[in-house]
Amino acid sequence: MKKNMKQLLGVTVALGLGLVATSAMAADKIKIGVSIPAATHGWAGGLNWHAQEAEKDLEKAYPDLDFIIVTAKNPTEQANDLEDLVSVQNIDALVILPFESDPLTIPVQQVKEAGKFITVVDRGLSQPGIEDVYVAGNNSALGAQAGEYLKKRLDGKGKIVVLRGLPTTVDDERVEAFNASIKGSDIEVLDMKYANWNRDDGYEVMQDFLSRFPKIDAVWAQDDDIALGVIEAIKQADRTDEMFVIGGGGMKDIIKRVKDGDKLTPIDVLYPPAMIATAMGITALKFETKAAVEGRYILGATTVTPENADKFYFPDSPY
Amino acid sequence: MSRREHKTMSAETGKRAAITIDFKAIGPFVALVVLFILGTAINEAFLSSGNLSNIFTRSSFIGIIAVGATFVITAGGIDLSVGSMAAFIAGAMIVVMNGLVQTLGTGIETVLIGIVVSILLGIGAGAVNGLVSTRGKIEAFIVTLGTMGLYRSLVTYMADGGTLSLDFAIRGTYRPVYYGDVFGIPMPVLVFLGVAIAGYVLLNMTPFGRKCFAIGSNEQVALYSAINVDRIKTLTYIIQGLCVSIATIIYVPRLGSASSSTGVLWELEAIAAVIIGGTMLKGGYGRIWGTVVGALMLTTIGNILNLTDAISNYLNGAVQGLIIIVAVFLQRGDWRRKKN
Amino acid sequence: MTDRATSPAGGGQTRKLRLSGQGICKSFGPAQVLHDISIDLYSGEVHALLGENGAGKSTLVKILAGYHQPTSGQLQLDGQPTRFATSDAGEKAGVILIHQELNLAEQLTVEENIFLGRELTRGWFLDKAAMRAETRTLLDRLQCDISPDARIRDLAVSDRQMVEIAKALSKNADILILDEPTAVLTGREVEILFGLIRRLRTQGVAILYISHKLDEIKAIADRVTVLRDGRHVATRAVADISKDDMARLMVGRDIAQMFPDRVADATTPVVLSVRDISVPGRVYNAGFDLHRGEVLGFAGIVGAGRTALMEAIIGLRVRSGGTIARNGTDISITSLSDAKKYGIAYLTKDRKGRGLLLNMDMRPNLTLLALEKFGSPLIDRKAEEAALETAIEAFDIRAANRKTRVGDFSGGNQQKLLLAKVMETDPDIVIIDEPTRGIDIGTKSQIYHFIGDLTAQGKSVILLSSEMPEMLGLSDRIAVMAAGRITGILSGDDRTEHEIMRYATGISDKNGASPL
Repeated sequence: MKKNMKQLLGVTVALGLGLVATSAMAADKIKIGVSIPAATHGWAGGLNWHAQEAEKDLEKAYPDLDFIIVTAKNPTEQANDLEDLVSVQNIDALVILPFESDPLTIPVQQVKEAGKFITVVDRGLSQPGIEDVYVAGNNSALGAQAGEYLKKRLDGKGKIVVLRGLPTTVDDERVEAFNASIKGSDIEVLDMKYANWNRDDGYEVMQDFLSRFPKIDAVWAQDDDIALGVIEAIKQADRTDEMFVIGGGGMKDIIKRVKDGDKLTPIDVLYPPAMIATAMGITALKFETKAAVEGRYILGATTVTPENADKFYFPDSPY
Repeated sequence: MSRREHKTMSAETGKRAAITIDFKAIGPFVALVVLFILGTAINEAFLSSGNLSNIFTRSSFIGIIAVGATFVITAGGIDLSVGSMAAFIAGAMIVVMNGLVQTLGTGIETVLIGIVVSILLGIGAGAVNGLVSTRGKIEAFIVTLGTMGLYRSLVTYMADGGTLSLDFAIRGTYRPVYYGDVFGIPMPVLVFLGVAIAGYVLLNMTPFGRKCFAIGSNEQVALYSAINVDRIKTLTYIIQGLCVSIATIIYVPRLGSASSSTGVLWELEAIAAVIIGGTMLKGGYGRIWGTVVGALMLTTIGNILNLTDAISNYLNGAVQGLIIIVAVFLQRGDWRRKKN
Repeated sequence: MTDRATSPAGGGQTRKLRLSGQGICKSFGPAQVLHDISIDLYSGEVHALLGENGAGKSTLVKILAGYHQPTSGQLQLDGQPTRFATSDAGEKAGVILIHQELNLAEQLTVEENIFLGRELTRGWFLDKAAMRAETRTLLDRLQCDISPDARIRDLAVSDRQMVEIAKALSKNADILILDEPTAVLTGREVEILFGLIRRLRTQGVAILYISHKLDEIKAIADRVTVLRDGRHVATRAVADISKDDMARLMVGRDIAQMFPDRVADATTPVVLSVRDISVPGRVYNAGFDLHRGEVLGFAGIVGAGRTALMEAIIGLRVRSGGTIARNGTDISITSLSDAKKYGIAYLTKDRKGRGLLLNMDMRPNLTLLALEKFGSPLIDRKAEEAALETAIEAFDIRAANRKTRVGDFSGGNQQKLLLAKVMETDPDIVIIDEPTRGIDIGTKSQIYHFIGDLTAQGKSVILLSSEMPEMLGLSDRIAVMAAGRITGILSGDDRTEHEIMRYATGISDKNGASPL
């Protein structure tokens, strides 16, 4: 029944739009729309790369699947993309990494009401029950693990500075969990400043922290792009022996440093952009197997140490 | 009017002119001094040689680009593409140098070729902006908005959406261009100073600069004064491109990387530096030293905000915006008084 | 001074005193620009206000219309002391000032302009029918055939002026102040305007007509008040005063000789020879010769193609076909730089829009056209200052301050500076387009003598002018253009206003149907 409907719709669309060959062929395939933020910074760049890799792999493995990846620069654009995916592309399922939770909840709900299978990645929607699958990144765990490591490494005592990302929920969750984990210890946060998940800003903010504070024991940069800028600033000030830096994300440059045993970057906390590939894979299974594919998949925030770094080092990835 | 009357008149006006020029020119300098006093009051680390060196070094990128923007804006144009252009040139330099490491090794030649590539790309990109807007008779705003998206996409494409990193083997050779110093003055500051002096001479002391002023104040008058308006305007965009390439040459060795987030909003910072410095956005009047001070002010505001936790992080943008508006207001207010 | 008591000319009983200013003084800061000026405007009378640039005419009329407040003295309307706090208050009382620069919205239609800001409405909607009807009535009253739907930008300047006047009348203005209305009009357009003014006079409107053109005042005004340096000099019945006397009162001295004494010599060699030049849609197969030391006038009504022809010769316009020869050798001019190279200079008639950088002072303006002369690679400022010193002296440029923006100069000083700027290139041929537009009579005479000096030095001048007296007073020969073609070149005794008009209107055409 459902399949008939689909064919009928496909024909209608093909006739209506005057697209003959391609649409008719594509209509036989199962279409999965993938909506993600555009590659405007390092982590999102990794996200795009992994999405494209997964598209290649999955389309090869399952020839009847057709992934359509669209990228947006802001929540408004992403909401428009969703409309297009439903009305023009006539997708069967949607994999979405929402820019922001609140503004995209209603648009995703509408896709759901159109009868599509929904997989939400990383950031949850503001209302429960819309998505069929939730592949959750764990921002809180990222903050907490960094905090735990700091506490242990500094023996519960020391002065640190924090570089934040952009003022968004992702950043807030990380920082709240971080603060909670060091609560009660004698670790003093000298100051927190936004570095906008940007290497140049990380460099400049760290330079100013270095001028301002004569003694810093550790830096929580919470993002590997920021961390790279921070590292250069520390090197320039010649204070590499005084402190260490904890980033976040799992950028290959940082993983490499961890692997090589760089004292400045003893660990990294993963927040892998590869989660989009995981989500796309799970969604593909929904159509390729009889298994019930539903529920929440929460990815842990793995701590990368020199011992396990090899497993997380992808030299080909752009991130 | 007799000859003698002329003499006394010009002597008097000469004296008055000297006073007004001084008063006008020191406007942005006064604002910068006020910022420095504010910075010192907030945190005494502000005046440490390390911090001052940071401020001057950091200002260099925007400052050098803004010197170029002073030409474009003085001649009545605008270039929105400089930030993306910087990212694109940085990316291209990295790709070229990484490729050359295999064949040429990690010597100075590789870096020199990278620099030549940067300069050629800068001049080329500027020429594209200039020629399309003058020959194509399209507003510079639209042309450079278009190339802004173009260059940004190109660097994203080159980097596969990620980050282009300079080969670690070559970094050591290139590093002194950013981290080196001469008599304690950091290299970027020296380059900035050199570009500013060259810009000053070109804008204020040569026929070319005079023609920029003329075109910016009235293109028709320039045309009726036998000035090749299209050529001069195109040249201002080429100067802008060259300045972007110079800024990029000293930017790349700092972090050794370029990505789609490199140079975001630099165009607005450069334009802001130019306007804070007293150049008229509608063209016809430009001041290089004002631009230099404008770039320093922008960096200093950011630096001061980083040195204090008295202001909520969420309000940083508001503080920056207010200071910029107040600085320009003070400077323009002074203009009006002089006129009456 | 007893002139104040002069009663209106004609003395018909319909004329009654409408608006008067008594003992008006005005200061801007420390500078007093008007000293104790009195003036009376009667209904059904055209009162001319005469004075050189800077005499205070504009300030006085702005006070009469409510734009400025007098520092002391008072206005009387119909015998009652009154005060216009704003120009709106003046308008309400029926006093409307029509500015030299017209205040019309270019993109709107005639009808929309007339009712701009006070549109007639019915309920929430515009009452187009009523506005249309009233516009028609107004235009009929002015006996002019402009369509209410025409867009202002498509109208000739004289028609725009009609619209401005219609707009004033629609506000029930019965005291109309016209600030140099003919400055932008050609001879024929002036006649249309005068016809209109005469009709308004018979309808009982009081008109104050500001000008420094003596012919016009003779032609249109009943009485004239002369101002000089912010002071009232005289008020006379126009019938009782000669043009010479008016000029003397205005300038405060004799203008011994308006035009330079020149001896025309037709035997000098040809320095510029133009053949068969066309500018698509503007100029058709124009050709002429220019002799050494000659002033060749170009007459014609506005739009006849004179400026287009000149701009084609100097490379500012694309021309199709034709040849230009300099001293007998064919030359190619594709840009103004080429023209400069061949010693040809051009003074635009639009000195504010195309001639001078109004936001700058004199020095950069003076040297802009000849920059390469002042140094390469670096500009020699001392040389520039020296050139400025020389130019100020040679052209008698009067500026309070070297740093004054050129935009703040009087028209006369701007024109002198523009002349000086062009002469910096040391040209042999100078093309001057409307050299004295909006300039007072004293400065005019100076400029005429500069032109005379140029020819005495062996340079040649092409003069484009809409002012007959200067065309006749300066030119050795006069080329007349009509509808893009040169219809005749007049010399000797043929150079009369009548002959020029015959060729300019196309009644006579030496070149006939087949040009050359």
